[in-house]
Amino acid sequence: MTLRIPCPTCGERPHTEFTFGGEARPAVAEDTEADFARVFLPDNHPGSARERWFHALGCRTWFELTRDATTNRIG
Amino acid sequence: MTQGSLRFEGREVPIHDGDTVASALFRTGVRTFSRSLKSHRRRGLYCGTGECPNCTVTVDGVPGVRSCVTPAGGGMRVERGRGWPSAEHDLLHVTDLMHPLMPVGFYMKTFVRPRFAWPVAERVIRRHTGSGPLPRRREPARTTSRHLHVDTIVIGAGTSGLSAALETVRAGERVLLCDAFGVGSQVPRPRRDAIGALEAEARKEPGIEILEGYAALGVYEGPTVALASQDELVQVHPSRIVVATGAAETHEAFPGNDLPGVWLGRAASRMASAHGVPPGSRVVFVASTGEGLEHLLALVAAGTNVTAAVVPSAFVDRVPPAVEAIADGELVSAHGRGRVRSVVVRERGLERRLRCDALVLSTGLSPRDELARMAPDEPVEVVGDAAGDGDTPRVTGGHLCLCEDVTVHDAEQAWAEGFRSAEILKRYTTATMGPCRGAMCGRALTAFAAARSDEGDRAAVARTTARPPVRPATLETLAASVHEMIEKRTSLHETHLAAGAALGWSGGWKRPFSYGDAAEEYAAVRERAGLMDVGTLAKILIAGRDASALVDQVFPGRVADLPAGRTRYVLALDEAGYVADDGVLCAFEDGSYLLTSTSGGAERMDARLREWRHRLGLHVHLLDRTSELGAILVAGPRARDVLEPLSDDPIDAAALSHATHADVTVAGVPCTAIRTGFVGELGFELHHPRSRGPELWSALQSAGEAFAIRPFGLDALEILRLEKGHLYVGQDTLPDDTPAKLGLDRLVDMGKEWFVGKAALERLAAMPLGRRLTPLTFAGGPPDTDGLRGMPVMAGGDVVGRVTSAATSPALGRAIGLAWIRTHGGELPTDLRVGEATATIAETPFYDPDGERLHG
Amino acid sequence: MAELSTSAPSVTAILASAEACERVSALPGACPVSPVEVAIVGDASITALRQAVERIDPDALVSDVSDGWVLHTLDGPGARDAFARLSELELPFSGFVQGAVARIRVRVLVQGDRVDMLVPSMLAAHLLERIQDECRELLT
Repeated sequence: MTLRIPCPTCGERPHTEFTFGGEARPAVAEDTEADFARVFLPDNHPGSARERWFHALGCRTWFELTRDATTNRIG
Repeated sequence: MTQGSLRFEGREVPIHDGDTVASALFRTGVRTFSRSLKSHRRRGLYCGTGECPNCTVTVDGVPGVRSCVTPAGGGMRVERGRGWPSAEHDLLHVTDLMHPLMPVGFYMKTFVRPRFAWPVAERVIRRHTGSGPLPRRREPARTTSRHLHVDTIVIGAGTSGLSAALETVRAGERVLLCDAFGVGSQVPRPRRDAIGALEAEARKEPGIEILEGYAALGVYEGPTVALASQDELVQVHPSRIVVATGAAETHEAFPGNDLPGVWLGRAASRMASAHGVPPGSRVVFVASTGEGLEHLLALVAAGTNVTAAVVPSAFVDRVPPAVEAIADGELVSAHGRGRVRSVVVRERGLERRLRCDALVLSTGLSPRDELARMAPDEPVEVVGDAAGDGDTPRVTGGHLCLCEDVTVHDAEQAWAEGFRSAEILKRYTTATMGPCRGAMCGRALTAFAAARSDEGDRAAVARTTARPPVRPATLETLAASVHEMIEKRTSLHETHLAAGAALGWSGGWKRPFSYGDAAEEYAAVRERAGLMDVGTLAKILIAGRDASALVDQVFPGRVADLPAGRTRYVLALDEAGYVADDGVLCAFEDGSYLLTSTSGGAERMDARLREWRHRLGLHVHLLDRTSELGAILVAGPRARDVLEPLSDDPIDAAALSHATHADVTVAGVPCTAIRTGFVGELGFELHHPRSRGPELWSALQSAGEAFAIRPFGLDALEILRLEKGHLYVGQDTLPDDTPAKLGLDRLVDMGKEWFVGKAALERLAAMPLGRRLTPLTFAGGPPDTDGLRGMPVMAGGDVVGRVTSAATSPALGRAIGLAWIRTHGGELPTDLRVGEATATIAETPFYDPDGERLHG
Repeated sequence: MAELSTSAPSVTAILASAEACERVSALPGACPVSPVEVAIVGDASITALRQAVERIDPDALVSDVSDGWVLHTLDGPGARDAFARLSELELPFSGFVQGAVARIRVRVLVQGDRVDMLVPSMLAAHLLERIQDECRELLT
């Protein structure tokens, strides 16, 4: 009864095996003000976004995928 | 042919071959099977397919059983649920007379004032509604849960379902065919024989798994289909779903439609043909469809006295001669007190009253399409009767929703009050919210709204949302997949139990809180030596060519220059600059590190390190050694004396000084000994292979006997660490605590080029601190200092903070604690109180401030 | 029906480059945990392994992590049915799968009617209890 996440190593698995890492964002911003937006103001628009996921109960690797938050379609 | 008997309200009722509980009771003369929810109106057999609530009885103490689809078994105890003093003579029927005083939604408007009225009213109402009291069982029944992977699931084993299953398996797929009852059991009698061949073929196919008695509760994302039987929950994971659940017969709403004696066609023809009991002695039949005609013919063939049949003129010449055919007539109403005694039919504009004791209707189909409607994004195909549009029921009066006792009059009132769509009417009147889940009344409700709405107002006429469960399931079955708490254990678990430890939950582990006397345990550590199982600590090996770069960028402090053999206390920040965890980093000769961290936080810390390895593109090996290594802490002024005889390796102050680590063999067990100061005494944390834990513990106990060494648990630890002012991340920290707020700026090196959270700290440095974690001493409070924990800190009449930890310190002879307190202009307020106690700001460490005992 | 047994396996962790890991994946008892991590279950000469791996990736880490794992085995015609009560994972006829079993991270090696479950030692007692409880009717 779950959203199925495609892990690059293990294949499709129920989302309960994963930790959600939020919207993909760069590790640094140009200055401290931009950094605030980087951390606290994700794009969060309806539709597709690049996200980071961690296969916590499997291979324990981090990867990115694109998911449409309104339809839950991945890819 | 009798097959034993069942016990019904004090008497024995004989069971014939093939009987359901309903047919056995009906044959013996029972006509009132239940009382309606609110008005306690008599209800008799109606749908015969397990959807309406009318036939619900309590079997062997379990309420809510649909007797029309439950096979009768010898020795069963059957009772009717509602009614006082009995279902047969129910004094609460008076509520039906009070109906005009209880308009729709009245309970939301009444019992509001006076306030005391609702709890009283609720208790009374509750006792007299519902299906009946629950069985008194101390243990829930055993239920199991399993997962099943197939290519295609076919839900419903009637004609279309069997065909779909055969077609699919011949295409080479693995098929699961399931049915809430038995294969072909819901196919209307006249068509039953035709599917015998299909059933035989399906049962012969090895590629088809058949599950009978498993009801599909819902289609979920995945897709996953949940099936429930009496004692098992099956979560099916198919690639494709075929819904072949057929259709129920149309439920019409007209005056008198809920009287005992009003039947739907399938129920009546089954009672007469399969069970040999006519539904009545004078039956009026209303048939609008081909199926209806078949049921009429079946009734007559079984010997039922059908006096009149209202049929479309096209069917007239198929009506048996003994039955009066009323062509193109219209059923107006049913009448009778307690049961049907007559019906009114309009024929060519004129109304006629027909005496009868049973009215049978077979006027259309209501496709069971809920499973398809609830999962529009899943690969679901609907076949057979379930795929039809269904027939629109007439809604002229009487009961719209049988389960919830909602009349058409109630719905009209609701409409007048402004509730003008099926969805809103549902919520206000509770129609379709009963056990049938709208299977009976859903289309009637929609038809009601459609008739009163403007053309093109699609919202008003939309079907109400389909949701799981489509059929009722007991909590016991759903709880079959309930989760037990995940418990972690060290290899010393049995050792602790044998020592009489009181174990409790801490961070997902079962840990000793004390071994019987926490005060003695504390004293042992302060005066002599104590032993603690700290195998629960997170332990992560960080190695590889970029190991140094990773630790330097993940932790805010100066760690790149950490020499081999030394340790450093570190904080882990998140990108917002908040303290997420803490730990101790040990540097090794080969460039690798061992990080120990908060018990219960291993997965979290490991995930964090992997995240930054990934985002920074570093070549680092990360190995979570939490399970692999046990750890035992030997702490106290005599700790070294305990270890000396057990090791040939040097462990003196020079070889193993404060904040260093070394590999030493203790009692033959290879250990990494880390000098720690968490409890404020000379301490050695011995990390060893997990399997050798009990052996090491035992050796340390023996060696420590001379010093009266004692094992100590979390209770003693709490006070020991608090006396040093050490914080627990999560207990003493808030989610948005920065190092500065915790007084731990010294662990941050803002001179480093970059670390996780640096930009956030730079931004925050420009702002006032806001609050600070502050050590306090208390006076004049309650003897149980534990009670201070969690209490607000007051300055004057204002709340300025909260106590995060508190305990009575034996070393200081007073109560101490930690609290976060708001600052104003960078200053802490004075005149602090916590409850009755006065609180004074202090400095940490409370105990051994110069750290002499620590640096031994 | 299936028989449940517990043992202490030999496990060697290899953390190395993708190339080295791929080479090692061909060895008996190899579990490809991730592109840069392989676990070898069963007796293995750690010195020989280390030499072989370091030849391809000098920075590799090869470590005996046996103490960190416990093996619970279900063996018999009912083994897969028992597993289906514990996990949503679909088992191949033979091979390696890692994922959630009874909600914890488990490495599964399966061969016909034999299901080997490698569980971190700190969770071994928990998983054993879950198997004994939920698969009660299927265990001999």
